[in-house]
Amino acid sequence: MDNTDRNLIDAHCQGSKTAFTELVCRYGEGLFGYLIRMSGNRDQAEDLVQETFKRVHEKAHTFRGTQLKNWLFTIATRVAIDSLRKRKHIRLVSLNQQADCSDEACEQLETLAVADNSREPSQEVVLTEQKEQVRQAIESLPARQRATLVLAYYQELSYREVAEVLGCSIGTVKAQMSRALRTLSRRLPDLSGDIK
Amino acid sequence: MNRHLTEKELIEYQFKLVSDSRAKKAAEHLEECSLCREHLQQLNRKLTSLDLLREKITVSNEWLAKVAEQAGWPTQARTLFFRKYAWISAVAAVFVMGVLLLLVDNLSERTAKKPEFAKETHSLLAPNGARRDSGQESRGVTGDIKLEEKAKVPAAEALDKSAAETKAFAFAFPEEKAGVGGGLKRAGGRAITEGEIPEQPPFAPASAIELVTLPRRENVQLTIYNSADLTLVRERRNLTLKKGWNWLQFMWANTLIDPTSLVLEPLEQKDKVRIEQLVFPARLRELGRWLIRSEISGQVPFEITYFTSGLAWRAFYMGTLAKDEKTMRLEGYVRVDNNSGDDYENAQTRVIVGKVHLLDQIADLAKRQYAYGSPVPPGGRSAGEDISYALAAVSQDGRNVLFVDGTFNGARWVMLAEPKEIKKEGLSEYFLYTIEGTETIPDKWGKRLLSFEVNDILVKSLYKYDEERWGTETIRFVAFTNDEKHNLGQTPIPNGDVKIYSQADDLGYLSYVGGTGIKYIPVNEEIELNLGPARLVTVEPRLMDFKTENYLFDSKGNISGWDEVQTWQIEVTNTRILPIEIEITRGFGTAYWQMKFDQKDISFEKYDVTHARFKLNLEPRSKRTYEYTVRTYHGEREQALTEITRKGITK
Repeated sequence: MDNTDRNLIDAHCQGSKTAFTELVCRYGEGLFGYLIRMSGNRDQAEDLVQETFKRVHEKAHTFRGTQLKNWLFTIATRVAIDSLRKRKHIRLVSLNQQADCSDEACEQLETLAVADNSREPSQEVVLTEQKEQVRQAIESLPARQRATLVLAYYQELSYREVAEVLGCSIGTVKAQMSRALRTLSRRLPDLSGDIK
Repeated sequence: MNRHLTEKELIEYQFKLVSDSRAKKAAEHLEECSLCREHLQQLNRKLTSLDLLREKITVSNEWLAKVAEQAGWPTQARTLFFRKYAWISAVAAVFVMGVLLLLVDNLSERTAKKPEFAKETHSLLAPNGARRDSGQESRGVTGDIKLEEKAKVPAAEALDKSAAETKAFAFAFPEEKAGVGGGLKRAGGRAITEGEIPEQPPFAPASAIELVTLPRRENVQLTIYNSADLTLVRERRNLTLKKGWNWLQFMWANTLIDPTSLVLEPLEQKDKVRIEQLVFPARLRELGRWLIRSEISGQVPFEITYFTSGLAWRAFYMGTLAKDEKTMRLEGYVRVDNNSGDDYENAQTRVIVGKVHLLDQIADLAKRQYAYGSPVPPGGRSAGEDISYALAAVSQDGRNVLFVDGTFNGARWVMLAEPKEIKKEGLSEYFLYTIEGTETIPDKWGKRLLSFEVNDILVKSLYKYDEERWGTETIRFVAFTNDEKHNLGQTPIPNGDVKIYSQADDLGYLSYVGGTGIKYIPVNEEIELNLGPARLVTVEPRLMDFKTENYLFDSKGNISGWDEVQTWQIEVTNTRILPIEIEITRGFGTAYWQMKFDQKDISFEKYDVTHARFKLNLEPRSKRTYEYTVRTYHGEREQALTEITRKGITK
């Protein structure tokens, strides 16, 4: 356990506002990155980060674990899955759908894309479309598989850490990961000959 | 491993999802099997696209600070107490509720005494409804309760009836100056006897507590002026007046009613009921109150007239051709759309075709914060002085339209009424159509109403060919005249869309022939409906011969004039099962031309200076060919044609 993390939690439980702010600064960005990939929407990710830290704030005294980071990701995963469940019946995106320029899609792309002026505009468009396809493919995964993939692949947590975050065995994590990758292999665009 | 690796195995190998021993076996197989290596590379290429979303996502420190602030402190820890000791919270809540109930009970006992006083005051009311306050002290809270009691009976009835109405009317009893007991009242310092109406009108009631709801409409008439998004609404309501001063409140919230156009008029007892003024109380938006002086008590029918926008109509027609296409049945419809914000039940609907001169848009007037502009206009000038527009009204017989040029100046209307005849030219061209019966048109609804239905209109089916207008296609027309001979001619026909069908068989099935838009058709005027290209009738002109001759030269030897001679063959084909009449127009591009045409059964005429027109009839499923030769004169040879023409005329 990182002593500083423990100290921060203790200080927060004793009413230190600075300690909680420090916690948010330390893990806010990572959680935001995780939640934006989970939700695929910047506004929603912001709300989810807010909700995650709200729960952290309320449940800080119950933290008994060894890894604060994992505990935060556990809470964030629960928050994200709850949110996905609520909006499941509202938004269904076809994988065949091309990247449109609805406000939401553009915003998501802006979030996920880093401006690269070295590419031609046409390449930029192709890249944008591919990113959208990847995002939609990830979004099409079941919530648990998506969480596993994002934690292991993007957040670069070990399978053991992912298992701790999701509260399951390593075997389950590997099975989820395997299923997720197999699904994605059929839905992701082939980049051969394309720009990366 | 003899068999090839599955996709699952390849993925699990690549992402280290299998045990070391299985991974080792897979690696050994891959080393030997090029197919599996290829398969793995394919998978890698696909899964590499996941890296497209691997970019680092950054957030600002300000946002993090905001998250910390918003997530942190508002709900800290105190919820824990209540959750942990939920039962304590429940007991506390029950206790608080008990205390509140006791307090409420106590209060209701106290207030129960007030109606006795109110009842006592209420008994002072005269039978005709006039109030005899015992003194100025009785006003305020007591006065309000008393007035509410008084308002109960008529208001309850009216509310039941008109609860669904968006726009509200209300009727108010005036707040009179304090009277003197024993049947005497005092107004403006002068003692007056019971039954006498004070000379000074009461001040406008400041609150709506004294107002009762007006009875629902007896009937309503809509006259819709399409061209100006303008509708004249005339509605009749029966008001129960009391002798003296009465307040009537009119609200137009959520509607597009133009408050500057409000007019209230008694339909009976006009000598005894007078509309004194219309006021717009300060701070109360979208309502006006009329002050009515009545010398009688009882029910009086009133007409309320105003303009609103948001109602629109459009005409459309359905024509059904008989099998021989010599007669047509024509049905005219009017669709009325109501977006005015108000429901109109059982409304008599009339529509106006024509243009109305209007300086202000009614919708803009309706949305003004103050009906006539700010009560305190800049520079002390009445904002209403600027408002001037044409007010339209419809006469009682329902046939004539009156146009009133109205100008609002301060608190009075200056109206110059002048009945106008129906004109067919100029800006004031209009015509009134009355739709039979009454219709209910709720807000946001549209309704299709039948305006007329005429059978056996004699029509002429005509085909036209004119390359300059329609290219190489033959166009089909149906023509008829809006007159009595054609079973029409009662009224002009408003512009709208026409769809023409023809009877396909004896069972009554219809086939669509074509559609077009028509403009306003005055009485006795012929209309040709363009039904679009006809595939079964074709015209093919062919140039058979071309030569130039009669050259003229100037002094330098240049060509200064010549003739062109063209011979055309026109082939007309009718593949329909009906005989047709066709009109073929040919243009020559110059005014100097001469035609040689000797087919006697085909009529030929010079249509205009550059065009000739041929008319011929064709039997069913037949073909007809004819030729003509045209000589066109160019340059100085144009003079020659002029000479020929002159000589012809001289002879």
